[in-house]
Amino acid sequence: MAGQPSLRVIIVGGGTSGWMTAAALARLLPKRCRLHVVESEAIGVIGVGEATLPHIRGFIEKLGIREADFMAWTRGTFKLGIEFRDWGNLGDSYIHPFGTFGRGKGDVDFHHYWTRLRSAGIDIPPLEQFSYGCMLARANRFDLPASDPAQLASTYGYAYQFDALLFAPYLRSIAEGLGTHRTEGKVVEVLRDALRGDITAIRLEDGQILEGDLFVDCSGFRSLLLGEGLEEPFEDWNHWLPADRAVAMPCRTETAVTPYTSAVAMPAGWRWRIPLQHRTGNGYVYASAFTSDDGAAQALTRAVEGAPLADPRLLRFRAGRRRRSWVRNCVAIGLASGFLEPLESTSIYLVQQAITALVELFPDSAEATVERDEFNRLIDLEYDRIRDFLILHYHATRRSDSEFWNYVRTMAVPDSLAEKIELFRRAGRVVKYREGVFLDASWIAVYVGQGIVPEGHDPRAGGPDTATLLQAMKALHGEIAATVARVPEHLRYIDGYCAMAAAA
Amino acid sequence: MSLKRVLVAGGGLTGWSTAAALKRRVPMLEVTILPLATPPSALADHIATTLPSILGFHADLGIGLGDGVTRTGSLYRLGARFCGWVEGLPDYVHAYGPHGTAVDGVSFHHLWARAARDGSVAAFDTFSPAAAMARAGKFVPPGDDGLLASHGFALTLDVPRYRRMLTALARHVGVREQPGALAGVETAADGAIEALVLDDGSRIAADLYCDCTGPQALLHGPLQAPREDWRRWLPCDRLVLGDAEPVQDPSPLDCVTATASGWHWTSALQRGTVYSAAHGESEEEPIRFEAGATLEPWRHNVVAIGDAAVTLEPLEWGNLHLAHSAIDRLITMLPAGAPHPLEAAEFNRQALAEARRVRDFVLLHYVTSRRDGPFWQDVASVAPPESLAHTLRLFRERGRLPYHEEETFDRNSWLAVLFGQGVLPRQTDPLADSVSPADAHAAMARFGAGIARAIQPLPTLAAFHAAQSRHLHERA
Repeated sequence: MAGQPSLRVIIVGGGTSGWMTAAALARLLPKRCRLHVVESEAIGVIGVGEATLPHIRGFIEKLGIREADFMAWTRGTFKLGIEFRDWGNLGDSYIHPFGTFGRGKGDVDFHHYWTRLRSAGIDIPPLEQFSYGCMLARANRFDLPASDPAQLASTYGYAYQFDALLFAPYLRSIAEGLGTHRTEGKVVEVLRDALRGDITAIRLEDGQILEGDLFVDCSGFRSLLLGEGLEEPFEDWNHWLPADRAVAMPCRTETAVTPYTSAVAMPAGWRWRIPLQHRTGNGYVYASAFTSDDGAAQALTRAVEGAPLADPRLLRFRAGRRRRSWVRNCVAIGLASGFLEPLESTSIYLVQQAITALVELFPDSAEATVERDEFNRLIDLEYDRIRDFLILHYHATRRSDSEFWNYVRTMAVPDSLAEKIELFRRAGRVVKYREGVFLDASWIAVYVGQGIVPEGHDPRAGGPDTATLLQAMKALHGEIAATVARVPEHLRYIDGYCAMAAAA
Repeated sequence: MSLKRVLVAGGGLTGWSTAAALKRRVPMLEVTILPLATPPSALADHIATTLPSILGFHADLGIGLGDGVTRTGSLYRLGARFCGWVEGLPDYVHAYGPHGTAVDGVSFHHLWARAARDGSVAAFDTFSPAAAMARAGKFVPPGDDGLLASHGFALTLDVPRYRRMLTALARHVGVREQPGALAGVETAADGAIEALVLDDGSRIAADLYCDCTGPQALLHGPLQAPREDWRRWLPCDRLVLGDAEPVQDPSPLDCVTATASGWHWTSALQRGTVYSAAHGESEEEPIRFEAGATLEPWRHNVVAIGDAAVTLEPLEWGNLHLAHSAIDRLITMLPAGAPHPLEAAEFNRQALAEARRVRDFVLLHYVTSRRDGPFWQDVASVAPPESLAHTLRLFRERGRLPYHEEETFDRNSWLAVLFGQGVLPRQTDPLADSVSPADAHAAMARFGAGIARAIQPLPTLAAFHAAQSRHLHERA
């Protein structure tokens, strides 16, 4: 016990990933590591992932942070899901909710009954109208979910939309309060053990040398330690996910502060809209092979709803990942490990999963083969699953109004995805898993929302006679509408719960 | 076309369970059973000991405790006691349920492992309320709260009576029974079955065939699906099965004892000896079996269930469980129309992952055993399959158990066997730092005392059965 070694952990980069990592390690493993964050104010922070997934709540809780404080500080709003506009076809709109369809109970998934009625030619409302979470979002209302599983209000989860540029400083104050050291400076050299190849130290611009046992690369796209230092190869997924740039520009909120993020398909990619308490974040993620930077900036400027609060800012990236995230004594977390476009708000989720895995597998020495292999296995699972889910959004489309959409509609997709789509198309089957991100309901939402309607349904959904089934559907539809109407408006809920301090 | 007619071949527990479940849960199907007697080597049809999942299977079919337990003469069981698997260590109990309770969010097993490494601590199973209850010969089902709220329990079946109950249920829900013996299988050019030919020359055709005929796989076998052989890891290939001596006060624990060339067990209703023919022999004529599984239990329009799909020695009693699980999976994935290769592939992927993981758990007992003698040297020295090797590496290094999607035995079970057989992780989980050894020790002592208090007033297994039986009679 007393002999447990404490490792010198050097975290390179102080953006969202760097400070999330520092705060979590400082809070959860105070005896196992001495933390040192190196960051440079001269290097911009990307500040990705203003919209999150429900898993973030577990992270906040583990750090002992009060949700309302955190939301007020980061000017956060609630998020019930993502609205996808113009994806399956121009004019389409659906919500991918953090929740289920129907009452979330019973042997047979709700969408099988819906499919059955629909293919019998019965005029039945869109699937999302049978999801409490979707309808709450559409109505711009919010309340915390109920814990009693008998209630409709228990069938959804939520996440946050917040200002990522305020998130990192918030975590920094926590990490520093728990004893994390911080050094201002740029890394100019990665020093390695000549024999073993491990990283021994980093040299800063001012000549300072920082030695460590474990190095966490949170340096962003540059991947300073893992990519440049250890030369871990990059696996490029550009052929499946051709978007490689984004232009971002916040604006004043002129329409509603929605409890959901919007992803609007554009001629060469898609545009996000993330409403915060004080402004709305916008950005156009596009493929440079299909539109110019100026064209994208102009398209974004035309599309935003209110007065711009900054000039358009350009970001370049490549979809893909380093083959391994933990190599030798270096663990890359966040963009230094890989990048997937923020279409499903997975950036912070991936950071969080990597941190959780690192905490659970925190080694007692730099010799950590078992830990390293397991960490990489867990991260592989996350990336592969998200990758297929993202590709689905592009591929399941009937759009033929631009070169870009023609490309993604007709491109070859990974076999694992092609099989998933075919299983759903035949009889509404969703490949089930219990652990991880994007469970059944997420896949169902995107399949159906983008026009893949099953040809058949689960034979068990053939049980009840049509009139009985239709009546039950109508009752559910009515109950959802009535329950939603009793919930406060999103902004009113925020005002009472976590309003930000008066604007500075 | 829509899938309508299902034919189930096999008249053992597997066949009747399949037919009854399909008809009960998908009433619009026409289910016919060809109740061919299955050989003793159809282990899922003949092993009396089951896992807790059987009660879930019953619930899905609407079989209550009265019909499922009392009227079939079945007995509740809480787990098994393992003797002699590691020389020098005391016996241990694998009961279905948690050990201890988390302290300040730190899993109990990490704290126990740290205490075990640092010195003396009571055996891991003494912190399992279910194991302690079972050792005391007592039984209650889980309650709503308290220490005895989270355990699982299973059944020891009176196999002939249980089969009669299933038969009656199947008939009641509308399963059609086709008498006769199988004379041949007609296949189409693509390999799918077109019809079964019976001994009177008649033909019966269906949209989907379930092969529950045991390891001979009368329907599935001719389709020549590739098979995976597990004998290099699990060399036991003989079984001698018999009835147990009736006792006044049956135990909720089976006793599983290592022998020179395998193991033997006694349960409340059955006993058996499992051994490797290469390492030992028996005076009685044994049942022969070969550990392994077909890679494609669902091929064309045939689904193999039970020993037709997977054969495994009965250690830890996964046989009928795997059959039930296949039935569940088939019902959940029943095709809307003609079976499609992709649907079959997904079924097979899950079925195989599940079977391999049960195999891993069985094999865990051997690879972590420590006994003298050629048999034990052989089984402990063979390199396990990578899935188990990975689990062992992670556990031995840091007490972590990797998550698997198709896992039959939960963490509690893995921990019971790993710690029971003396496998301790090298490192303490870093998250355990937040609980001092003294605090952990105090929490363990409190927990142990709580178990003793909770168990003291409980009825014996026999008394519990008697009370339940009286209660049912009074209601009737």
